[in-house]
Amino acid sequence: MPQPSPEDDSSLLALVQSGNEHAMASLFDRYSRVVYSVALRVLRDPASAEDVLQEVFMQIWRNPGSFTAARGSLGGWLSIVARNRSIDLLRRKRPTVDADDIPLASSFNLADEAERNSLMERARGVIYKLPTEQRKTLEMAFFDGLTHSEIAEMTGDPLGTVKTRIRSGLLTLRKAFQS
Amino acid sequence: MSPNQPANPIATFAGPNGPRHPNPDDLVLYAMQLLPAQDAAAVTQHLQQCADCRAELGHIRADLATFANTTDLQSPPASARQRLVDQVGREKKIVPIAPAQAPAHPPAQVQTAPPLAAFGRGSSVLSIEDHQPKRSGRTVFALAGWAAAACLAVGTGFLYKSREDLRGTLTAQTGQIQRLNTDAASAHQLMDALTDPKAVRVTLTAKPLPKTAPIGGVTYNPQKGSLVFLVSDLNPLQAYKTYELWVIPSDGTTPIPAGTFHPDDQGNAAVIMPDLPKGVPAKAFGVTIEDEGGAEKPTLPIIMAGS
Repeated sequence: MPQPSPEDDSSLLALVQSGNEHAMASLFDRYSRVVYSVALRVLRDPASAEDVLQEVFMQIWRNPGSFTAARGSLGGWLSIVARNRSIDLLRRKRPTVDADDIPLASSFNLADEAERNSLMERARGVIYKLPTEQRKTLEMAFFDGLTHSEIAEMTGDPLGTVKTRIRSGLLTLRKAFQS
Repeated sequence: MSPNQPANPIATFAGPNGPRHPNPDDLVLYAMQLLPAQDAAAVTQHLQQCADCRAELGHIRADLATFANTTDLQSPPASARQRLVDQVGREKKIVPIAPAQAPAHPPAQVQTAPPLAAFGRGSSVLSIEDHQPKRSGRTVFALAGWAAAACLAVGTGFLYKSREDLRGTLTAQTGQIQRLNTDAASAHQLMDALTDPKAVRVTLTAKPLPKTAPIGGVTYNPQKGSLVFLVSDLNPLQAYKTYELWVIPSDGTTPIPAGTFHPDDQGNAAVIMPDLPKGVPAKAFGVTIEDEGGAEKPTLPIIMAGS
């Protein structure tokens, strides 16, 4: 079976734009696990995670123009949107506006199951090699939506240390994939 | 403190000649939507003018997407797909059909039709015919041409719609087959792990034994590094704590983390096929309570154990 390509995402989005329901179901089949898993990791509640899953994909159906191929990987974009919506729900906040007009500079094709699995394994390997404090700080910020002040309060670490840990953790991840 | 509460103002640094940029640490917080509203607004304003910071934000968002994908993949319930399909069906799109383009220079002799609204109001189509009782053969031929072109346009539109529908169906079925293949492969791997005669099966009980003791079972194949752990009657945890499963190697080396988990409302939890090294025989398995995110070494006490 031919592997899906980024062009396939673009084609599906174009079909969704023209009201094609099959294309919408196809996008769901491709990315629902990623979106649901991120939402579940943040919310730890299957019912709430399913609500986020529904909301994210209905956003694509209602406004497929909110994502264009020029904005980078659709899978990556969906991961970020799923995380942000889940954090909003966790904090009982109104949905925040994403910086959606900034292209997501990712070269990964998350539509490809094999490439996605390879990316996950490599990323996990990098993250688990980080110092424990750094990994936990990054997870508290990203998956728990805690601000640097909240993390500093909980861990007793200085604010600057918390901020630096978050950024340098991400930089380590970036460098590992560039090398 | 919530992200909307005022905090320390953003620290900035000045470029050698250019504008003052947000602190790189704060740009990461901005990407995670964790900056206070006032600071976030300042960064948003800066981004509108600074291509360098926009590019860096794109990289940060890609890093975050990569980090998001370190989470364990879970399949949503099968009903979620049907729920989406139903909702999509209820919110059908109305796609405007583009009108067929008229030729740039229509034949001068073709009579302009009156507006539809004028039909039946005295000076109507009939009145035009009254003024032109003798339509020439050439005009009739031109009108027939227009009619043929209209039929052709409708036919083409119909064929295009059919082609798009077929294409959509094909893509949807391809995606569904791919998903089914992935699910089948996962299920097959899981069945292998559960039914493999070479796998060891260990029951883990709480130590010391409480009244309603949590109980769990591990199915582990050291050759394949496959592990399935199911547990019930677990107590809920405090915020930012997690249970973590450990494989204790028989050669006495450091325990290997085998995944973190949280019980559901009924106290049930599972660790299915975590990433484990192959070829590590285990003498025991244990469960500890760790800070969220898990630990590299188990924190005592071991609350469940089995060998």
